[in-house]
Amino acid sequence: MFDAFIDGLFLVLQWKAFSLMLVGMGLGFCVGLLPGIGGAATLALMIPFVFKMQPAEAFAFLLGMHAVAATTGDITSVLFGVPGEAISAATVVDGHPMAKNGEAGRALGAALMSSLVGAVIGAVALALAIPIVRPLVLAFGSPELFMLAIIGISCITSLSGAGARGQVKGFAMGLFGLLVSTIGQERQSGSLRFDMGLMYLWEGLDFVPVLVGVFAIPEIIDLTVRGTSIAGERPAENLRSGVMEGIKDTFRHFWLVFRCSVVGVFVGILPGAGGGVAQWMAYAHAVQGAKDAKDRERFGKGDVRGVLGPGAANNSKEGGELIPTVAFGVPGSGAMAILLSAFLIMGLSPGPDMLTKHLPITFSMVWTLVIANIIAVLLCLTILDQLAKVTNVRGGLIIPFVLLLVFVGSYTANGQITDLLVTLIFGVLSYFMVLFGWPRPPFVLGFVLGKVIETYFFISVARYGFAWLTQPMVIVLIILMLFVIAYPYIQKRRQRVQSQANA
Amino acid sequence: MHKGRMFFCGFLILVAAAAIYLALEWPFKAALFPLSVSIPLVILAAIQLGQLFLGKGEIVESAAVDLEFSSDVPPEVERRRVITAFSWIAGFVLCVYLIGFPLTVPLFICCYLRFESGVGPLPTIAATAITWAIFYGLFQKLVHLQFEQGVVQAWLGL
Repeated sequence: MFDAFIDGLFLVLQWKAFSLMLVGMGLGFCVGLLPGIGGAATLALMIPFVFKMQPAEAFAFLLGMHAVAATTGDITSVLFGVPGEAISAATVVDGHPMAKNGEAGRALGAALMSSLVGAVIGAVALALAIPIVRPLVLAFGSPELFMLAIIGISCITSLSGAGARGQVKGFAMGLFGLLVSTIGQERQSGSLRFDMGLMYLWEGLDFVPVLVGVFAIPEIIDLTVRGTSIAGERPAENLRSGVMEGIKDTFRHFWLVFRCSVVGVFVGILPGAGGGVAQWMAYAHAVQGAKDAKDRERFGKGDVRGVLGPGAANNSKEGGELIPTVAFGVPGSGAMAILLSAFLIMGLSPGPDMLTKHLPITFSMVWTLVIANIIAVLLCLTILDQLAKVTNVRGGLIIPFVLLLVFVGSYTANGQITDLLVTLIFGVLSYFMVLFGWPRPPFVLGFVLGKVIETYFFISVARYGFAWLTQPMVIVLIILMLFVIAYPYIQKRRQRVQSQANA
Repeated sequence: MHKGRMFFCGFLILVAAAAIYLALEWPFKAALFPLSVSIPLVILAAIQLGQLFLGKGEIVESAAVDLEFSSDVPPEVERRRVITAFSWIAGFVLCVYLIGFPLTVPLFICCYLRFESGVGPLPTIAATAITWAIFYGLFQKLVHLQFEQGVVQAWLGL
């Protein structure tokens, strides 16, 4: 095993594989920065180029690109409030307020370093988990996966306002997100739902136009209203020390980064959940880790922990997603499904062979994830100084270019002008959500999780009737869900008792 | 603001009620999930609306973990700027619909910088040219993104 581990490293360090990894990283860097052009779409575009490559070269190229796209997607999220990738949306919630507070360098430093730590933890998990993951994945059927997704939704209680009223709003927004996700053709019966007679809606709403509208439009409106730069009238941050501070934050909150990385790996392993879910669950976990109500109120206003959690989970989930893909040929996401086709092109069949005969190639993937992320973060750190200066440029000079980025990104989802209209509609809706104090993260989480939840819910009911609720693992997960919902009250009660004891 | 909050609750109730009404017509498989989601949504939004009616919603208004709009601008100025911003955004979308992306990009950048941001003519022309070159080189030449034709070009048969 150790020999295969070292052989895997040498496979990546061969000049051709290494050069191809660098080319892939360059592409991934650009793709990550541009909203809408997703990592999965770019993987699909690059598949034809791997036909003549050796397996280790092909995976170095493809994984190098995919890993870096997840890392650099955070940059536009922090600087402009526009998610570079759908999986970078959670970084906007605290990353962009940090930029507004004149801490863009710190936010970027934290996002990049936590991404690196997350990627390394994901890669280590991939290396360690392959022999033991089989029973875990097989233990989770549709009812358990449905309950896990419901726990994800329950985490919204910590993303909405504190107290019962906050929870009511949070759940309402989560349900609204789930309802929006049902637009389009129903998968089991083929019935059209809420399609309004428009063919555009048959496939349902794409993530990119909705997410870009929900997050970017209110930020643009706010920037216009303020009439200042993103960082406002605050004195310009000492960028180098800001970036260093962000890097230090990663290690100050290392336990949080570690836990969120584990969340990312776990969500990555589960088929169908994807990075969109991992980041929000990690964010919710970071918020729930707040010491008290006052500490909790810092989230959403520029708390570095809100950047560290999603940053770590985004990249660790890459390693997690590779586990079922390599071990069983069950892709954990759309991107992994495309990567699976690369396995077949290379003449490799995922499964036991990847853990025995082709183990060095499996380990070369682990090494690619680690090396590509280290190089990407080091490169980004050298240019962050220049990037963060953008937050001190007058808003009026930035807005037209950000708008262009938003709408071109939105258009790339389906190549239809209707995508722009969807972005505009959800932008207006999101503006009113913010104005009237209805939290957007639960809406986004509900929207992202909707299709997964519906599929597992339907299979559970169709296969077991309501008996699925009595399965032991489901009962454990229901208890866990109730705990997640009740946790803010338990925490509040504990603090009250403690303050009474102190008095 | 209070009316606005009530309006938003009403909007959610209306959307969920419409979803229930439509879902009742569908086969069981298609209706199961939308109904499971819409019914509790109506209830939760109604609870919130009830609290607002009773004046409880705003008294204990706890902050959501989300963006908060800046409040250091006078309300009249804020309203005017919001309308201006939305007009530019809607104008961009309308322009893309009418004349397509490739023409809208330089036109929008030029107009926004010149009339909204008050940038001088020469920097505006330079910024417009550079943006258009990047847009053309990256999205049209490199990525080969197919941009839909505007209705004006289609009407003129270009």
